[in-house]
Amino acid sequence: MTPAQLATLMLLLPLASAVLIALFLRRRGALAAWISVAAATGLALIAGHLIFRGLRDFPASTEWLRFGDFAVSLGFKFDDLAALMLFIVALVGWCVHVFSLGYMRDDPARARYFAGLSVFMFSMTGIVLADNLFMMFIFWELVGFSSWLLINHWHERQAPSDAAKKAFIVNRVGDFGFLLGIIWCYSTFHSVDLTTIADKLHGGATVAAAIPLLLFCGAVGKSAQMPLHVWLPDAMEGPTPVSALIHAATMVAAGIYMLCRIEPLFAAAPPVALDVVMWIGVITAVYAAFCAVAQRDIKKVLAYSTLSQLGYMVAAFGMGSHEVSLHPGANSSFPDPWVVMLPAGVGAAMFHLTTHAFFKALLFLGSGAVIHACHHEQDIFAMGGLRKKLPLTFMTFTIAVLAISGLPPFAGFWSKDAILGLALEKNHLVFGILAVTAVLTAFYMIRLWKLVFLGTPRGESAEHAHEVGVAMGLPLAILATLSVVGGFTVIYGHSFAGVLKLVPSVELSKAMVQSLVIFIVGAGSAFAFYQPAATDTLEQKSPGLFALLASKLFIDEAYNYYVAKIQQRFAMLLNFLEQIVLAGIIIRGLAGLVGLFGLGARALHTGRLSAYVYWFLIGVVLLWGFAAGWAF
Amino acid sequence: MADLLFYITAAFTVFCALGVVFNRNAVNAALCLLLSLVGVAVLFALLNAYLLAVLLVLVYAGAVVALFLFIIMLLDVRADQKRPFKLVSLIASVAGLALMVGGIAMILRRGQLTASPAPAAAAPVGSVLKSYAELLFTTYLLPVEIIGFLLLIAMLGVIVLCKKFEGLEDVK
Amino acid sequence: MIGLNDYLGLSALLFAIGFFGVLLRKNTLVIYMCLELMLVAATLALVAFSRFNGILDGDIFVFFILTVAAAEVAVGLAIIVALYRRRQTVQVDELNSLKN
Repeated sequence: MTPAQLATLMLLLPLASAVLIALFLRRRGALAAWISVAAATGLALIAGHLIFRGLRDFPASTEWLRFGDFAVSLGFKFDDLAALMLFIVALVGWCVHVFSLGYMRDDPARARYFAGLSVFMFSMTGIVLADNLFMMFIFWELVGFSSWLLINHWHERQAPSDAAKKAFIVNRVGDFGFLLGIIWCYSTFHSVDLTTIADKLHGGATVAAAIPLLLFCGAVGKSAQMPLHVWLPDAMEGPTPVSALIHAATMVAAGIYMLCRIEPLFAAAPPVALDVVMWIGVITAVYAAFCAVAQRDIKKVLAYSTLSQLGYMVAAFGMGSHEVSLHPGANSSFPDPWVVMLPAGVGAAMFHLTTHAFFKALLFLGSGAVIHACHHEQDIFAMGGLRKKLPLTFMTFTIAVLAISGLPPFAGFWSKDAILGLALEKNHLVFGILAVTAVLTAFYMIRLWKLVFLGTPRGESAEHAHEVGVAMGLPLAILATLSVVGGFTVIYGHSFAGVLKLVPSVELSKAMVQSLVIFIVGAGSAFAFYQPAATDTLEQKSPGLFALLASKLFIDEAYNYYVAKIQQRFAMLLNFLEQIVLAGIIIRGLAGLVGLFGLGARALHTGRLSAYVYWFLIGVVLLWGFAAGWAF
Repeated sequence: MADLLFYITAAFTVFCALGVVFNRNAVNAALCLLLSLVGVAVLFALLNAYLLAVLLVLVYAGAVVALFLFIIMLLDVRADQKRPFKLVSLIASVAGLALMVGGIAMILRRGQLTASPAPAAAAPVGSVLKSYAELLFTTYLLPVEIIGFLLLIAMLGVIVLCKKFEGLEDVK
Repeated sequence: MIGLNDYLGLSALLFAIGFFGVLLRKNTLVIYMCLELMLVAATLALVAFSRFNGILDGDIFVFFILTVAAAEVAVGLAIIVALYRRRQTVQVDELNSLKN
């Protein structure tokens, strides 16, 4: 099979699984689960073959729709960037599928869940493989849909239903900007094909800053940057494996991936575009880190942590390119070193995306194991002492916590320090803010770790916690291994060279010192400060500060006010207009008019013979008139 | 002489036709129809179509009008069903009549018929009949056959229509 | 001299009177009779045409008209009789079940 056929098979395998489950297996949860896992396995195997056999840049594109000049085509663009993203998606997806076998064993709507997972895998693979912006947009929306479907899994309760709607609507706001960007892009380049656009910009052409910024709106929505970040904490109402897959590792990372794909547009735009991106990322990172300090729910802490790390990635991208000096050989005729601008932002962002996928998915799955063991208790102040009860979970969770805090030699250290190194080079203020955020990251993660695992059990469910089975334990182990070794790029061989060579290199000793300092300051203070108790120590010691942190700057409240007061009133006005004008006058009026015609015609059917004879006469007279030459 | 005869016969026929239209009693109307048919037969004779005149009286006046009279008397149309003509219907009918007459007059005027030739001399009855027969059975053979078929159908139709169907009760 | 026009005019007048009767009268049978009157007027016109052109085809056509009229009257009266059996009336304005 050609690579293009393999890729198509890989794309359609989860879709087939979803269709099969949706049509036939709604009540057969176990069979549905295995089919979905089989599809994920198939996808992972094919992905592995494509990635590690070095099959790159195979041509594959078919025209799907054509409106005169304008054609929408579907195709694959499989370069190193896509390969790296596919690796993450396939691997983390497979781990989550296997984990769900154990986690959702007792759920009555298991089949629907696995169908949703399969739809998600299909949509996400579509985004990864897309070669033009329209195709990406189609799968973008599909991913939003599967996110809604999965958050909404326990829709009997009001909260998940609301959260799913919120997620979809906020995403939609971002997608509106995305669509505007695509249209503008098309009108400028007369193509939305990524390769074509890159080629057109090759010679140094410039584009308006608005195009990449509008496309960035899509990333703002999907990757939950300020001000469209409000949906991600609420999305934790979905089952934990969903949070792991979608809201930590893959879907939210799709925004970053899309940014990397349209990097040539940013390079050709005025620098203000990248600056906007960078500052939005920075603000999100620091805001989310502050909010995470005051959360009680284990998943909410992780959600804010995800927001913060995504802010890191966006900020890294926004820091753009950096210079690399290439020194020529001694006997060359060029004495001066060449200076090459490399898109280092892409490299740093993608590298952090990769390592983040590993340890964040591990964190979520670990918290899933904890929640499952504690019988769906999610308040960290009701847990404690789980170190002894859940040894495997404890070990893997610890590895993940150390990774996210940036402790060498775990994976997070390498990627986070690439970003900090880039920041140091570019903008010292940004570097300062990001360093503070790193300290806060270590702070709240150690707080979480200590309160959940150390000390003595503080609640009923924590007393009776039991360790997880193989289905849930195996993915934890795999992801933990990757969190340890994932930072050493040598393990990937040459597969992702195109991306990984863009990662800015930092001086190792300086970086290690920096990270250790951050870790000690953050983790140490958290370890010392927080006492394992039923209430938050910070809340007790300084309620004012805690209230400020817990308020999340009232952004949710502001949105609620706007929707309830302003938008709702406007919507009611439109509804009124629609009822009166559209439905009333135009639709019912036209129907009434037709009815009137009908009544008139009906009145002609008198049933009396003489009336019909008169009609004959009129007809004959008309015919005579016509014959006589009266023009009609 | 022939002109005078024509005018008298024409007036008689028209008068009887008006009688058909305006007579309240259905039986009177039928008898007026009979008389107007006789008038038309005389006009046929004036045109030297003697065979047709006789045929008209035999078939039309003899059979058709007789049939009409049978049915009128069968259906027992009561005398109290004579009602005065409603003014509305009278006016409407006159309007219809005017339209019809106007149309015909217009056609006739535009027709611009040339000066009419004299009627052909009457041949003895026998030879006329022979020429009829010649035409009927050569040029117009197909219509003759079809007419025969039509008569068969009509007979069948009448028989079917006069049957009493089961399931349909007679409304008393 | 009586010409073709006179015969045609007479025929037209008879036709118009018959039509007037169809419009005016309410008794089905009388309407039918006026219809026959119209038919006879047409035959008159035909014979006049054939006579004034020296051909016999008009006469032949009158044969056919006569036959068809007879058959038509038979069937029509049978229908009227069947109608009378059902509705006990032959007044046209009471035979209006096709109304609306």
